[in-house]
Amino acid sequence: MEEKRIGVYVCWCGTNIAMMVDVKDVAKEMESLPDVVLARNYKYMCSDPGQDMIIKDIKEHNLNRIVVAACSPRLHELTFRTALDNAGLNPYMLQMANIREQDSWVHTDRTEATDKAKSLVAAAIRRVVHHKPLQKRTVDVHADTLIIGGGVSGMAAALEISDAGKRVLLIEKNENIGGTAAKLNLSFPYMNDANGAIHNLIKKVEESDQITIYSKSEVKEIHGYIGNFKGVVKGQDEKETHLEFGNVIVATGLKSIDAGKIKNYGYWKYPQVITSLEFESLTKQGKIVNEEGKVPDNIAIIHCAGSRNDNYNNYCSRTCCMSALKYANQVRDMLPDSNIFELYADMRAFGKGCEELYTSTSRRGVMFLMFDQRNELPVIKKDEEGDGLVIEFNEKLSGEDIQVPADLVILMVGMEAHDDAKKVSHLAGISMCGNGFFIEKHPKLDPVATTTDGVYVVGCCQAPKDIPDSISQAQAAVARVLATISKGSVEIEVTTAEINKDICCGCQFCISVCPYGANSFDAENNVSVVNEVLCKGCGTCATACPSGAIVTKHFTDEQILSQIEGLMAKVLELEEVETD
Amino acid sequence: MNTRVNPNLAKELNKYGKGNWNECFHCGNCTAICPLSEDGFLFPRKSIRAIQMGLDKKFEASVDPWLCYYCGDCSETCPRDANPGELMMAMRRYLTTKYDMTGLSRKFYTSAIWEYAFIAIIALLVVVSFLVFLPLRPDAASMVNESGGVMINSLIAGVSPDRFVTLIEYGDWLMAFIVAGLLISNILNMFYKTILSDKSIRISVSTYITEFWHLIYNFVTQASFSKCEKKSYWIGHLLLMTGYTIMFIVVVVFLPYFQVEEVYPFWHWQRALGYYATFGIIFFLGMVTYQRLRKTQINMKFSHASDWVFIIMLALTTISGIILHIFRLSGMVEASYYTYIIHLAILVPMIVIEVPFSKWSHLAYRPFAIYISKLKLAV
Repeated sequence: MEEKRIGVYVCWCGTNIAMMVDVKDVAKEMESLPDVVLARNYKYMCSDPGQDMIIKDIKEHNLNRIVVAACSPRLHELTFRTALDNAGLNPYMLQMANIREQDSWVHTDRTEATDKAKSLVAAAIRRVVHHKPLQKRTVDVHADTLIIGGGVSGMAAALEISDAGKRVLLIEKNENIGGTAAKLNLSFPYMNDANGAIHNLIKKVEESDQITIYSKSEVKEIHGYIGNFKGVVKGQDEKETHLEFGNVIVATGLKSIDAGKIKNYGYWKYPQVITSLEFESLTKQGKIVNEEGKVPDNIAIIHCAGSRNDNYNNYCSRTCCMSALKYANQVRDMLPDSNIFELYADMRAFGKGCEELYTSTSRRGVMFLMFDQRNELPVIKKDEEGDGLVIEFNEKLSGEDIQVPADLVILMVGMEAHDDAKKVSHLAGISMCGNGFFIEKHPKLDPVATTTDGVYVVGCCQAPKDIPDSISQAQAAVARVLATISKGSVEIEVTTAEINKDICCGCQFCISVCPYGANSFDAENNVSVVNEVLCKGCGTCATACPSGAIVTKHFTDEQILSQIEGLMAKVLELEEVETD
Repeated sequence: MNTRVNPNLAKELNKYGKGNWNECFHCGNCTAICPLSEDGFLFPRKSIRAIQMGLDKKFEASVDPWLCYYCGDCSETCPRDANPGELMMAMRRYLTTKYDMTGLSRKFYTSAIWEYAFIAIIALLVVVSFLVFLPLRPDAASMVNESGGVMINSLIAGVSPDRFVTLIEYGDWLMAFIVAGLLISNILNMFYKTILSDKSIRISVSTYITEFWHLIYNFVTQASFSKCEKKSYWIGHLLLMTGYTIMFIVVVVFLPYFQVEEVYPFWHWQRALGYYATFGIIFFLGMVTYQRLRKTQINMKFSHASDWVFIIMLALTTISGIILHIFRLSGMVEASYYTYIIHLAILVPMIVIEVPFSKWSHLAYRPFAIYISKLKLAV
């Protein structure tokens, strides 16, 4: 058995740790523990001089295991693993002890915090003894990309990939691609011709040699892992096509909230009440008329239909406020003498050019009336004095109970996730938030990737957003896809589960608990097998296995139990000192 | 019953001033900065909202616009350059037309031609009456007293000095009754709109009596105006108001003691009061004329035709009075006679048009608005 030669490095983190923990004392005491060759403390271990110190020690003192007592491993484990790698040591021969987030930041007694640091570091020392070198693994990447959804996000992503000379398999549920954006006439805030722009995009996608469109089709199955997915697509004639691809971009888009759900608005009762998308098609036809073909004098636009309200959806759909202003401008252009009322809850004009749109619209004789989402929503009823409708509510800025005449009411319906979002989430192995939108890997730092490598979410299936945001997201995802394609191979997780075939009894319990579908059954040998490419090393199967046949690499029972022993040994020792 | 909104009210108000109703997005900075805005009478924002939404009844029931003296702090603070101060000005003009039941006020405010025409007609009536009924006597040139001053009451053919003063006094009282009658009917209408029409407001007779001192106190001292940050307007306005009031009382009530044949010594009360009044009027008129022309002060930047008519008529009255005074002292008989006619031809239409129908009506509406606000607070 090789000799264990451990180096211990205690970080001050400036004053973050050193203020509450006596780092010198911790290092000094660790030196006396078995297998520890040296223990040092330093102001910033993560700095270049700190890392160089570790590398130099590894080389000079022949260290083969390293313990770094510093911040959370989430922050700097990769930094120190790279340092080990640079020193010629396997990166997995490292163990970190978190003496900042779990110690110095949360305690107020310096002596106790120092004792706790000693326990945590001692535990890490005991654990690192059992570390084994693990080898990085790579797989080749298939150069085709599957895009689910042919809306503006899916089309933007498809064109970007095809421009790079790579193939795209574009799956569209409907007969034509274009999605919700193809139903729009103009776009806010600059009143550009969205209809023309989107149809240009559709034409380009249809003409591209690199893009294969599967219209009236749905994805039935997706298997595999980043670089090597296999899928089944079912077409309109129930024909199933088997496809292979290296990455998946989910761009399934949105649906409007069912306006009929909002009982105060009487969407099914009054023909004069229409949704925003219905109004888009009116403006496309070039004339604003109500159901009876009459040109309306009083047009009311109600914001937040089904949005930001405890009884419907709590979230903001982000585009409706500005679309509503767009409508006010369109109505003013087409019917200069009409009365326009905007019933809003809060005016959200956060995008480029949007506050300016609000200002310019407010100068065009539009009456802005504010309702309070905490009160009852405005009520639409028949006008007792005329043949139109009236909208009654308490206006927030005046405090008055008012009545707004209307012979056309446009409901700014909010966005919702598709009903089959759950199905898609299972297919692609991604998560959904409570509202049915797909969850990105990190809300700030990794907004287009998902927890499944090789699967990206773009556009409104991730959250409500406007066209430029959807396209930005699509192009960002494409950058990630093309990076893996151009590299040709991807690194995959090494801390995977491993099944000891001699112990496995073939009960298949591990297969049922695996959230990634990484375990399968080898019937010939009556044992479970792990697909190491799919396995994320979550440890669920290892915990569940009744015969203890499964271990998760780098998280073996031996390693974890030794860590606990180290922790307890130090605690007991410290208690003894106290009782003396 | 919910109140129906009226998108046309703001358009109607556009005829009364240069403000921009569309600009206001209700941040409330104007109300926060205003030293006169207080609980129960929060303005300008709430008044602006009522106009934007076309809440006619609610707006006409409020006295808020009259509680503002237009210092302009709100307009300076407004992040959207909506000019709330100017909007309040437009609201006061609009309310003036609403209190007036003849419809003339609306005509005068929305059409300068109407106002000029009415002024011209009344002026012409004055001139014609004098030339026809009170012509200059042939030997008028001899009507000069010992000190060389013109004997102003002795210039008319076939009319004794006492009779002349009495005739002018009758004219004064007739004008005063007509103007007061119209103004009082407007004030009653204001009372009806702000208090009586609202059945929920019940005010006891004793409250009407105990709160009445506010009306007198604020009329005389303009104390409310003094709460504005810019004190110079209050002082100037007080000079103008006291000067004019003194002159009005002297001319209407004490004419026989004022319009006399002899020239009193410089420090005689009759001359002293006249000089004080002249100074007060000229001082404030000069100040606002200069500022309205310079347009550097935000509250003087926008001038409605009715503002200029008021300033010009008052200035011409005062200047013609000064000239008449100089002609009299210099013994210039014919010049005095014709200047006297011109003086009255400006003064009479000014009072008849301005006091009940136009800008000058604020002399009554402001103190009454304060009285009404105190009544509402006392409930």
